[in-house]
Amino acid sequence: MTAEGGRMLGVARRMLGRIDLAEDAVQEALVLVWRRAHQFDESRGSAKGWLYTILRNRCLTMLRSEDREMPTEPQAIDRASEGALVDAAFDRLPTTADLRGCLEGLDEATRRAILSSYVLGHSHGEIAGRLATPLGTVKARIRRGLLKLRECLS
Amino acid sequence: MTERSLDLLIDEVVLGLASEADTARLEELAARDPEVAARLARARDRFAPLDETAEEHPLPDGFWERLAPRLDLPDETSPRPEPGTAGAEVIELAPLRARLNRWRSAAVTGIAASLLLAGLLGWSLLSPSDPLVVAVLLDDRGEAIALVESGPDNTTRVTLLERPDVPTGQVMQVWTKPEEDGPPVSLGLLSTGLSRVLSIEGLPEPHPAQLYEITFEPAGGSPTNLPTGPILGKGLAKAPVT
Repeated sequence: MTAEGGRMLGVARRMLGRIDLAEDAVQEALVLVWRRAHQFDESRGSAKGWLYTILRNRCLTMLRSEDREMPTEPQAIDRASEGALVDAAFDRLPTTADLRGCLEGLDEATRRAILSSYVLGHSHGEIAGRLATPLGTVKARIRRGLLKLRECLS
Repeated sequence: MTERSLDLLIDEVVLGLASEADTARLEELAARDPEVAARLARARDRFAPLDETAEEHPLPDGFWERLAPRLDLPDETSPRPEPGTAGAEVIELAPLRARLNRWRSAAVTGIAASLLLAGLLGWSLLSPSDPLVVAVLLDDRGEAIALVESGPDNTTRVTLLERPDVPTGQVMQVWTKPEEDGPPVSLGLLSTGLSRVLSIEGLPEPHPAQLYEITFEPAGGSPTNLPTGPILGKGLAKAPVT
């Protein structure tokens, strides 16, 4: 169980960038799990999926909330480490995973945009800012990429 | 909403790109429509392998102990009673509750929290009391791959004896045949890929020579509610000598 907790902490840290915030997120997620355990319905997906959905939603809320001191100045963004996290997530997908094969079928910019939303919790705007690409272009690119992924995975 | 725009909304919610309003709208749709709920679950499963790619961080010391008191706090999201509506005969419960909570927090250590999580992830600390039947499931090479113990109410403990290689996008499903010439009935999924206890209502008491088997099925379970995939292992039950 401690291993699962450790994985949850890893997922939260990857999104929030700080271990102290990550610990808060995992604690808050577990409190929600505790309160909503009676709502869990196995016919609608696995317990593990439910757990990580709650955790990622918690992290996204923290990332999007106004009252947190998230450094957003361009110089504060460590692009190298963000890029490394996205690449590592892709590299660690098992070679047998369908998701990996299908992500490989996308062009690199689209693949990284999709991965950075899931792995780092980036919004359309954050992705556009980092790529210095207009927001509309980024949205359309992600939409096309997701359509391709769905076709490939189904 | 077109099928395609619903698919896109589902993906954007799963990735975290959707606005809070859109996310709430989809959650509402899924709550009303099992078909939407199933599509949402499938989309989550598609991206779930990415959760496994995060580094594991050891939980800091005192993590569970810090969590325990938070489990006892009142839910901030629940409606507060209106102040001033209390009549003379109403006992003010808040201070009593606070005292009780302090006592409970002291009593509930982090163990409770870790047990909750363990239980959710399909570990079980309950055991079917004195199994009525026991079956050892063998694979096609005759290797024992799981031990099945089932109680009178069909509470069934499945203990895997080997870590099976579950194909991506598939799940282990446990079956039994309560009637020898009837169809197999699903006892449930081992959705975490680990041993667990399954409970099911409405089946007759298990009997010796009853067939138990585990098959690989598409994520979410067999679409036909009958075994469709390859058999991981099967075996006939026997009554333990007590």
